[in-house]
Amino acid sequence: MKEVNEKLLIDVGSTYFKVSTASSIEQHLRDFNKDILDDLTYKCGEIIHGYDKDDIYICSSANGGLSTLIIGITNSFSLKYATNIAFNSGINIIDKVLYQNIEDYSVPSDLIDVVIVVGGINSSSNIFGEPLFSYLEKLNYSNIVYVGSEEEAPRLQATIQNLVVLPNVIDNKLHIIEEHLKEYLTNLYQLDIVGKEDIKNLYTITSNQIYPTPYIVNKTLPFIDTKFAVVNPFILIDIGGATTDIHYSKDLVDENIVTVNEYDRLVFKKLGVYKSKESLIFTAKNNEFVYELLTYLKVTENIFEEQSEKALKVLMQLAIFLVLCKMSHYKQAYINLKLLSINSIVLTGGITKVLADTEVEDIISFFYKKILNSSHNPSVVMDHDYDIWTLGITNNKG
Amino acid sequence: MKVVTGVVGNDIHVVANRLIELSLNARGFEVFNLGVNTYLEEFFDAAVETGAEILLISSLNGEAEGWSREVKLLKSKYKTLDNLVMVIGGNLVVGTASAETIVPKYKKYGFDLVFHQVDLNTGLDTLEEYLKERNN
Repeated sequence: MKEVNEKLLIDVGSTYFKVSTASSIEQHLRDFNKDILDDLTYKCGEIIHGYDKDDIYICSSANGGLSTLIIGITNSFSLKYATNIAFNSGINIIDKVLYQNIEDYSVPSDLIDVVIVVGGINSSSNIFGEPLFSYLEKLNYSNIVYVGSEEEAPRLQATIQNLVVLPNVIDNKLHIIEEHLKEYLTNLYQLDIVGKEDIKNLYTITSNQIYPTPYIVNKTLPFIDTKFAVVNPFILIDIGGATTDIHYSKDLVDENIVTVNEYDRLVFKKLGVYKSKESLIFTAKNNEFVYELLTYLKVTENIFEEQSEKALKVLMQLAIFLVLCKMSHYKQAYINLKLLSINSIVLTGGITKVLADTEVEDIISFFYKKILNSSHNPSVVMDHDYDIWTLGITNNKG
Repeated sequence: MKVVTGVVGNDIHVVANRLIELSLNARGFEVFNLGVNTYLEEFFDAAVETGAEILLISSLNGEAEGWSREVKLLKSKYKTLDNLVMVIGGNLVVGTASAETIVPKYKKYGFDLVFHQVDLNTGLDTLEEYLKERNN
């Protein structure tokens, strides 16, 4: 087996791409007027040509992932379980429909990459009916998968064209079963990549499978202590150009989801510092504590209009504050984390190149004092050299 | 027959919860035990997912009273739970009060059967009789 240092690792993000060799890591802002491969070979051609296709590993979050719509019958089980599996499979865009009120939902006009229908333990029957069929008739989707009660499957399969039926995600104890849906969604992601010209072209430089970046990061977390002094429970924050990802230890939630995974993922799809900058600023302006935070950072709201390194720093600090708010009991989200139990906060991605450790620590202690009224101070770990990503991509054997 | 059971609210009386599960199993019910510290929405959601006919909530620290006030309103939001048999039992009050005071109060909250400080087997006998009459 080849050593890690013989590999070339490439991560294509929505804003930057990173190229990692044994001796260096380069980060380049993408040129959106160019095809990704052209841009990559223009900026890093020499490095790339020095490696065999077998030794180049690529992951990507640049295509935005699959858009997903989940139709489930309860918030506490079917919708929650399917959402959890989808997030952990690297999917960013998730809309949810509670089946009993399906007639009240407007039908999305955009093409949905995958519809997930879920509900009921295997012995439950007569769950879905006409309202589902007429909703699906109006919906524009590419794939549809059923992961609910076995009893319902034959009837649904007879009515819904091209329905893929997988084992139920809810077992008879109301526990979650992840693997089948997760495998399906990850494979679909691969097909989606292959279908997208920009990413597809990258297969001319690698013979390895291209994986979603968040999937790679999530797989790394059990080994994180081989690289960092991280104390469990911890959260990992990856602030990107389009989305902000949080990976968290399961100990931090009082949830009914019990899986073999130690870590789950949560995505804030409208919090990013480039593509989603406007929505980040909008969210910030609607947070009652943000003006106090700006004063604390010794800037005014005019900073939002600026294009400077200082402005980027403030945006990243705001993003940290806003995601912590969104995960706390101060804002009710899909899940709330026990933030007072966190021992370490790990930051990865571009943020580690922009903010100093003390600038991150400042924001975190501001959040704990202001929102949680606590002097709790988790240690901050910065993944300056993208070790988490390199560890994940080289450990991933698919 | 399927029963969803568990202890409501911030109540961790797990032994009673386990005894209820064992007793229901022994009587031939198919039991879905949500355990302690369960919120109302989870009870109703579990009834929807399992297709349960009975919801049996237990409480030992008297906290049920606070939660039960929400039962009617919350249940009314579900379109498939009209026939769900609602049962509550345990120690249903903080301090002391007689069953004569407690039972009507909980029935008003939306429970069909209310067992305040009633022996478990007596309560389950009553439930079985209730189901028999209801199905006739």
